Amino acid sequence: MRAVFSYVKPYRWPAIIALMLMFVELFVELAQPLIIAKIIDEGILPSDGTAIWLWGIVMLFLSFLALGAGITNSYFSSHVAQSFGFDLRNALFRKIQSFTMATYLRFPTSSLITRLTSDITQVQNVLFMSLRIMLRAPLVVIGSIIMALLVNAKMAIFLLLGVPFLLVFLIIMVKKGITYFSVVQARLDRVNRVLQESLQAIRLVKAYMRGQYEASRFQKVASNLQVDTVKALRIMELIMPVLLVVMNLCLLLALWFGSAEVRSGNAQVGDLVAVVNYAMRMTGAFSMFAFIIIAFARAKASAERMEDILLIEEGTEDRAGIKEIEENQIGTIAFHNVTFRYPGTNVDVLSDVSFSVSQGQKLAIMGATGAGKSTLLSLIPRFYDVTAGEVYVNGRNVASWDLDILRGMIGFVPQQSMLFTGSIVNNVSWGKQNAALEEVQAAAAQAQIHSAVESFPDAYETKVGQKGVNLSGGQKQRLSIARALIRKSHILILDDSTSALDVKTEAALWDALAEEETTMLVVTQKVRTARDADRILLLDEGRVVGFGTHEELLSGSELYKKIAASQQEVE
Amino acid sequence: MKYLQNPFGYERILKKDDLGSGKKQKGARAADWKYTLKRIWQVVDEQRSLLVLVFMMVLVSSVLSLTGPFLVGRIIDHYVVPGEYDGMINLILVLIVVYCILSISLFLQNYWMIGIAQATIYRMRTGVFAKLMHLPVTYFDKRQHGELMSRATNDIETLSSTLNSAFIQVVSSVLTLTGTVLVMLYLSPLLTVLTMIIIPLMFMAMRWITRRTGRLFKEQQAAIGALNGMIEETISGQRIVKAFSQEQQVIEEFEEKSGRLRTVGFWALSYSGYIPKVMNALNNMSFAIVAGIGGLLALNGYVTIGTIVIFTEYARQFTRPLNDLANQFNTVLSAIAGAERVFAILDEPAEEDKGVRDIKLQGAVTFRQVYFKYNPEAEKDTLSDINFAIQPGQTVALVGPTGAGKTTIMQLLARFYDVRSGTVEFDGRNVQTIARETLRSQMAFVLQDPFLFEASVFDNIRYGKLDATDDEIIEAAKKANAHDFIMKLPEGYKTVLSADGGEISQGQKQLLSIARALVADPVVLLLDEATSSIDTVTEMKIQEALEVLMEGRTSFVIAHRLNTVRNADVVLVMQQGQLVESGMQEELIARGGIYASMLRAGKDIDALLDR
Repeated sequence: MRAVFSYVKPYRWPAIIALMLMFVELFVELAQPLIIAKIIDEGILPSDGTAIWLWGIVMLFLSFLALGAGITNSYFSSHVAQSFGFDLRNALFRKIQSFTMATYLRFPTSSLITRLTSDITQVQNVLFMSLRIMLRAPLVVIGSIIMALLVNAKMAIFLLLGVPFLLVFLIIMVKKGITYFSVVQARLDRVNRVLQESLQAIRLVKAYMRGQYEASRFQKVASNLQVDTVKALRIMELIMPVLLVVMNLCLLLALWFGSAEVRSGNAQVGDLVAVVNYAMRMTGAFSMFAFIIIAFARAKASAERMEDILLIEEGTEDRAGIKEIEENQIGTIAFHNVTFRYPGTNVDVLSDVSFSVSQGQKLAIMGATGAGKSTLLSLIPRFYDVTAGEVYVNGRNVASWDLDILRGMIGFVPQQSMLFTGSIVNNVSWGKQNAALEEVQAAAAQAQIHSAVESFPDAYETKVGQKGVNLSGGQKQRLSIARALIRKSHILILDDSTSALDVKTEAALWDALAEEETTMLVVTQKVRTARDADRILLLDEGRVVGFGTHEELLSGSELYKKIAASQQEVE
Repeated sequence: MKYLQNPFGYERILKKDDLGSGKKQKGARAADWKYTLKRIWQVVDEQRSLLVLVFMMVLVSSVLSLTGPFLVGRIIDHYVVPGEYDGMINLILVLIVVYCILSISLFLQNYWMIGIAQATIYRMRTGVFAKLMHLPVTYFDKRQHGELMSRATNDIETLSSTLNSAFIQVVSSVLTLTGTVLVMLYLSPLLTVLTMIIIPLMFMAMRWITRRTGRLFKEQQAAIGALNGMIEETISGQRIVKAFSQEQQVIEEFEEKSGRLRTVGFWALSYSGYIPKVMNALNNMSFAIVAGIGGLLALNGYVTIGTIVIFTEYARQFTRPLNDLANQFNTVLSAIAGAERVFAILDEPAEEDKGVRDIKLQGAVTFRQVYFKYNPEAEKDTLSDINFAIQPGQTVALVGPTGAGKTTIMQLLARFYDVRSGTVEFDGRNVQTIARETLRSQMAFVLQDPFLFEASVFDNIRYGKLDATDDEIIEAAKKANAHDFIMKLPEGYKTVLSADGGEISQGQKQLLSIARALVADPVVLLLDEATSSIDTVTEMKIQEALEVLMEGRTSFVIAHRLNTVRNADVVLVMQQGQLVESGMQEELIARGGIYASMLRAGKDIDALLDR
């Protein structure tokens, strides 16, 4: 809770002003009975009309004062609440952006979304309310108790009888509330998850006509959410009735023993009336009080979920590291006895992999499905850290590079094209902010997509849907290649990213890429593509089983021969 | 002055002309939210019996909460003050009972109301989801997942918190209000009328405020939706963000959207914060009016001092429920803003599923002069004048450069989209006359982008045929050459695959989606680049299985490696949305046209590279 609420700090002055304004309102409210007394004492009783007018005007003036204070308070407290929410949301998002890929595996996207929206809303609402109305209820309760004690401590003590019990009860309830509400938020995560999944798979759902099936899957998570929300809220609804019944019983006790005091002449009737009055005021504030406690428990549960993320120390990418690029080893890559397994698993995906690529060379990586090709590539921009061994880029261990510099040297084309909502220009220049349109076009031309884009009605301004839904597979792949090419990077990584291209387009693409002087790492299934490379790295179940030119492998590697044979054009 | 217009530098969202002074517009807006409210009520009302119980409990608690103080007053007046204590114990016992029942009725009304509210929420949430699943594909083409998700989460959550409290609050406020007004009228009709002076003022104030908040709440929900969309997309594409070191850029974009939410939220909160304050002020004013004018009246002997004292107290009692009502009205408005976005989805026309059912497809497919474009405004057709006829059981290869319209043909076959003109026919029946359910249940797909659910391997393959036995699944996996790698997973077929986990490669995903299609046992099989990420050695192995599978079924296959389609009976060569060549495989090769040259090109390039 502390880490989350430290984000209020920059806004402590507006917050304090909001509170002061609230006190002004409270003051006006409390002053009113006093003024009415004045009207009666100075106006009506002595039959003084001007005094009534005078005090009446004072009262009106005070109402306007309270209105002014209230409205100003509204601005200040919403400023504090919204800015707090804004800062917190941004801090969370920043933190999430600094996660390593391994950390993302621990937090599903759906859960991160809930934390960034629903959880923030919970905390923000509590802050807003506490700046405006909430504090009043505790103040009324405490004030009434003090006043009652001042009037007649002996009688008022009965009112306090219930307090220890209520305190214990409230603490238990708050604890329970936190547990229950964090379950509720976790259920919301699941709802988000199924939603996200079904939307991503919408074509598959339609293809197999599984709308009903998905709906029943969703009903399950939605009903879990419903059941747990009901459970949490119902438990919390116990608070007010219990508070009320205990307080009212205390009131009756005070009344009973108070009347005995009055009878024995130790107290005035007036004292008893006053104490009872204060007790009633207290109970009047209880519904707000219970509401505060529920809101607090809920906010605490949400705050803890945010702190799960805010306080993560490990698992974030640290941006410190070497920034200078030495000229002599630009574009070289080397793997030294690299072993890798995904975090939280116990199978090595890569074992003891060693190879090196020198500047401007083209390395083709081949191997069966699941041999570890994509994994190997993901170690170069340091998406993951190796389990053992070292990866060198430009002659330096990737672990010692500043990540921005390291990734700035690499143009990466993933296996799945992953375009974003936005225009084609936005998507291509994603690789290089502020790129001129000519650069975008040049990159697109090199990626063999320029003429296709030109044929769209809106050309480069054509809007692309999420993940590029409105483009063909081959168009997506080529845009994704253009996005990498525009960077003119030292190293170009293509993870089987030409699979949806026809033979001619692909050949033209490779021709265009041959002009580039970058080091290229290319995962491919096609011997035709591999043959063109300087070296071919052959992987099998995470091990290097061949490394050499096409001819070398053709004569030396059984596996390579088998692959080549599988691609012989059948006559 | 400028500062007052933009306090704390928040950009002003509501412009004067936005609020619209035209009467017609105002009327429409009012009708809008009344209509939305009515629809919410319809869902709530489905649990009328519980609702009646809640109503009764509110009645009980309202009466009892007035009875308590009344009885305490009696004890003091009748027993304590005169010093008579006989019988006091009886009243105290009555009070104990009253207080206990009060607490119980309070608990019960909330207990039931929460049940009602959450059941309503559940219905709306699942309703939205079911609707989403039945909307046409085109609906999703331009919408972000996260934005849609926000409707079933954030928007519904605002409704949820309102429903929990609004009904009880409104009913109990109305009850207390009525009671108080009656007592006030009894005490002094004149002062009552004076107190009522504030009511028109109150209405005016409420109107002024809610005209603003109503709009702002809507904007706020839209801003949350936009933010949700951005978060979902960015985090799903995190690998690209990292690969291109675009964290800073993404953060800036996030902060812009987040800032929009802050600005809208600021105004929404500020304006809705006016309500209790204005109510309070009006309350204070009525207080002053009663005290001042009442005082003057008292001078002339129209009312007694006692009446004024009691009356000021009642005036307070009178305004409190009014205040509560005003506040509730405001939360209801925010809920309506959320609900409107939910209903917007519910009101989308669903993909209707009319047409014949219970027919068994034979597998003959005919395209007659088919024209199609995705974007109705686009000039060029994506497909133009496509004609072909396929016999049941034939294997059809769709070949041609990327963007030629091959996948589009598949989409039309499955009727994801409808043709612009011409017909697609199955067994001589226009596809539009066959129920989608019937059509697709006899088809199986392997889509370009394989998708796996966060579920076990078993369940992922079973998606093709929900009642498939484990043995059938293992059989299909073996045929798809997926069995070996599945067995290497930590828990074999029971391994739960994570959505973005690294344990499954793209090629393996394709193998699983082939297994999924195999288990479906379809009449028509559609393979769109089904093996593009699979290595050729594995592919050869699956090829045999696929050939067995394709026997006796009409199959459409898209593949760029022409090797994979060499066994096709019919080849359709596509270029720029047109069918440029079609015929039997041997025919085309013999004809020496485009297809033959494509085959040659493959080899030419091979030869070229062979040098």
